[in-house]
Amino acid sequence: MFLLPGLAGVMLFYLLPFLEVVRRSFLQSGNSAFVGIDNYRAVWENGAFVLAVRNTFLYMAVGVPLLMGSSLLLSLLLRNLRLRRRLVSAMLLPMAVPAAVMVLTLQILIDRQGVINGVLTKAAEQIMVIPAFEAIDYLNTEWALVVVVCSFLWKNTGYMVILWLAGLAALPKEVEEAAQVDGANRWQNWHYIIRPGLSGSFFTIGMLSVLQIFKSYREVWMVAGSYPQEHIYFLQHLLQNWYLKLEFDRMAALTVIMSLVLLVVCLCLQKRLEQREENF
Amino acid sequence: MGSRATVPAWAVQAYGKWQKRRTAWLATGICVAVASLICAPLLMIPGGSMMDGAEMRQILSPILGEGKGFAVWHLIPVYPTIGHFYRLLIESPAFYHLFWNTVGMTAAILLGQLAVGLPSAWAFAAFRFRGRDFLFGLYVVLMLLPFQVMLLPQYIVLQKLHLYNHQTAVILPAVFSTFPVFIMYRGFTQIETEVLEAARLDGAGELQIFFHIGLPLGKMGIQAAMVLSFLEYWNLVEQPMAFLEEQAAWPLSLYLPQITISQAGVAFAVAVMVLIPALFVFALGQDALEEGIAYIGVKA
Repeated sequence: MFLLPGLAGVMLFYLLPFLEVVRRSFLQSGNSAFVGIDNYRAVWENGAFVLAVRNTFLYMAVGVPLLMGSSLLLSLLLRNLRLRRRLVSAMLLPMAVPAAVMVLTLQILIDRQGVINGVLTKAAEQIMVIPAFEAIDYLNTEWALVVVVCSFLWKNTGYMVILWLAGLAALPKEVEEAAQVDGANRWQNWHYIIRPGLSGSFFTIGMLSVLQIFKSYREVWMVAGSYPQEHIYFLQHLLQNWYLKLEFDRMAALTVIMSLVLLVVCLCLQKRLEQREENF
Repeated sequence: MGSRATVPAWAVQAYGKWQKRRTAWLATGICVAVASLICAPLLMIPGGSMMDGAEMRQILSPILGEGKGFAVWHLIPVYPTIGHFYRLLIESPAFYHLFWNTVGMTAAILLGQLAVGLPSAWAFAAFRFRGRDFLFGLYVVLMLLPFQVMLLPQYIVLQKLHLYNHQTAVILPAVFSTFPVFIMYRGFTQIETEVLEAARLDGAGELQIFFHIGLPLGKMGIQAAMVLSFLEYWNLVEQPMAFLEEQAAWPLSLYLPQITISQAGVAFAVAVMVLIPALFVFALGQDALEEGIAYIGVKA
């Protein structure tokens, strides 16, 4: 009874249209003739699709471990500090910064003739390590992926630090204290107590990081537009561009493929969350 | 006789203490450095919004394609001016229009989410009914999907309902977003089930329980959901871009990137105006925000 209005809306705006897309993925747009898996084959053989899949995986392979590693390290450092709350807030601040504002400063910093290249050039001249530092064209070379990964880290580190800290707070304190009394050093403490205790968090945070990768498209699009440098052409660009070109049949097929992949990720995550719920 | 034995106990203790403090200082130092690095880009914004146009053109000329060398930045402008704000706030009605678009859409979405999501979350938390687990699983999956996957499905339904190119095309799907339901649900699950059972035994009606027990005790989750939603919808980009063709209906967050870098002063002034409400909500709702994020992953 409480649920009905909400459920009706979810049905109308999410579920039913999604099923309609599944249906359409087997039809030709325009005359609605049944074409079987032709749309899927068209997606599969599309050069842009192959490129986008490769880039998306590369982005994930670089971004997820970096994000998880850096935020775990930070939360281990942070967890007993007196300034913890202030520092966590500072790291969380990017969540409050609208993407458009961030992009504005980024444009000035990373242009080929922008501030960062200027500082690097000056530093190279002063220290004489590299006599002539070659200015990097960040957005139009392979460096574009580095920019994207950095902005991903910038945006999500605070978020993940909070998740790690929550995981750490759930560990029983007595075990660690007992180990310390017995003379365990910091490495042993990590290896035998913290790491096994966090295994559940590892999984959850990993999956959430993957999903954040997919959600970081907004910044990428705003920095580099609809047709960015080929290393940062992701699956979302493809969907967005097919949408603008009204190529709905192929788009339907790609939507189904992507949601199946993400569904698997989500189900794994969920299973884990439910297990935890039962444990408490 | 080693020299070790002769070291007095207080000295050993003091050394241990010193070592511990040194580690703490080192950790603090690293974390402060990272936190400042994260916050540093924001320092460019106030200066930029008050920088005279000529000064801006001069320091950014390499980016604008008019000069050799590299752009520099002045954190504190040499010739400060409030001209950009004057132009924005006094001279251009278009700014107000877009600003109120953003405010209106965000407010409508948040109110809608409260009206629809709050009862849904309560239903999942307080009742066991058939299909509950399946439905809840569905809600979780939906909340985790990125917008691009829902782009085509939502376009189809909006087209059918003749809502395309109307602000409700952005508002309605967001109202039924399942993410706030999840967060509020997590807030409600913090309530002990015994409390609910006791209330039922005492003959309280379901509505009474919802208003007198659920709402007050689940406050943290509700606040968390509202803060997270505000930050998300204040910053809308993809949805209006896909579903709103007319610029007049756009929110500020989509309009800002359209201002070219050659008008950076105005852009920075707009950025300040966009940033202030977001930072305000961030500062006010911080505890709720952190609590809400923790709900997502670990807290059961």
